[in-house]
Amino acid sequence: MRKALSLEFYKLRRKYVLPMALLFLTVELVWALIAVSMSFERNRDSAGWEVIVAMLSTMNGLFLPLLSAIVVSRICDMEHKGNTWRLLRSMAVQPGKLYAAKYACAGLIMLGVCLCQVLAIAVFGVQSGYLTSVPLVLLARFLFGTLVTTLVVLALQQWISTVVKNQAFALCLGMLGGFLGMVGDLFPEAARRVFVWAYYTGLSPVTQQYASEKMQFVVREAGPISSAAAVLLAVAALLFLMGRRHASRLEG
Amino acid sequence: MIKQCFQAEWLKMRRSHIWVVFMILPLVSVIIGWANYVMNQGTLQKEWYSLWSQVGLFYGEFFFPILIAIGCSYQCRLEHQNKNWHLVLTAPVSLAALFAAKLGVVATLLLLVQAFFCLLYVCGGLLAGLPASLPAELPGWLLRGWIAAMTIAVFQLALSMRIKSFATPVGIGLCAVFFGLGMYVLKLGLFFPHSLLTVGMGVLSQEGLDFGSNVVFLLMNALFGVGISTVSLRRLRKSDVLA
Repeated sequence: MRKALSLEFYKLRRKYVLPMALLFLTVELVWALIAVSMSFERNRDSAGWEVIVAMLSTMNGLFLPLLSAIVVSRICDMEHKGNTWRLLRSMAVQPGKLYAAKYACAGLIMLGVCLCQVLAIAVFGVQSGYLTSVPLVLLARFLFGTLVTTLVVLALQQWISTVVKNQAFALCLGMLGGFLGMVGDLFPEAARRVFVWAYYTGLSPVTQQYASEKMQFVVREAGPISSAAAVLLAVAALLFLMGRRHASRLEG
Repeated sequence: MIKQCFQAEWLKMRRSHIWVVFMILPLVSVIIGWANYVMNQGTLQKEWYSLWSQVGLFYGEFFFPILIAIGCSYQCRLEHQNKNWHLVLTAPVSLAALFAAKLGVVATLLLLVQAFFCLLYVCGGLLAGLPASLPAELPGWLLRGWIAAMTIAVFQLALSMRIKSFATPVGIGLCAVFFGLGMYVLKLGLFFPHSLLTVGMGVLSQEGLDFGSNVVFLLMNALFGVGISTVSLRRLRKSDVLA
């Protein structure tokens, strides 16, 4: 498995996947952090780590489904383009192992993106001058929620990208996911539970509430989020297994 | 020659089911925008204009540019496979005709998407109980949106012809969307293809453009379109294709 994974990264040489992911992340961070610093300047009393985490969670709902779609599409499309699915099978590479290696590869890239994001939040918070000690627990919870949601999205995207050769459909799903991730909070609770992309804010440790016509940022309790995350991880595993089974049965 | 190239490009689209993608994205943005309008009719009181601001925001700002990027990537997908660029470039047709044909197919699809979006907007408005008189600016929004969409299509085609990956030009296009949004906020909307779409379709401000602004809008589109396509064709002529 380790060899299959290292080969996936080897295949991505000169594919510029990492620079593109970083470019994407930079655009998101610039947008989010400019908005946060403007908010801090307008109202110095409201300055807090919670504002940054809530803002990034909302932005992630738009950006990460799209980035996940692009990363997975890049990883799967190279096999479609080169007609290498069959070649790899004839070299005694088990289809299930190949599928898992691709998922792990995409997951590690997205983990890197999420870690960069957390690092950027910490650096920005300290540099801004409004905030002091870095809240490690809050950031760890933010990282966990973002990662769990991304794992589900990746499993879904990989299924589509592997099974449907035309990557337009996978990217269309990514675009719809980004849209639903961004506006997910506007939906009723029942609808929000169905859309996996809405969990970028759903698993965020900070939520926004309106009290006496003023927006407040409230830190959520870990309990309900953990149970939702456990369900989501099970969904990710299910999607992964179904996708792997489907892909393994395809005629290369 | 261009007609034959156009027919060949159109033929490549057969049984691609790409129309599904081109219909889903406008449909979703109109449904969500319409639902938001219906639920907030107390606040959104400018009738057709308010509805346009809701349905047009996500469509014009995010979905339409991405749809253009997907369409352009799809136009070059076949050429990037099985060394087909070599085959295409050795055909007895000029590069300009080839580029124009691809652009023509994308432009036709985008025109159909605009018409579909307009139909959905009108149906949504009537369903919401709005009066039958449509805003006078509507043809202008749609036409300017289509013109700006063609400028973005030139940019995306240039990227897709250069980059083998299907997804990378779409990703770059998305980054350009946010850059364009920033340019619009800085009141420099006429100086970037993606913000020209925001200005043209009136998605953030429904005030119509005056004569002078319309002229500048058309000039900037022509400038970007000609400039980008010239650079792209020059590059295609001078450097080897890595098929």
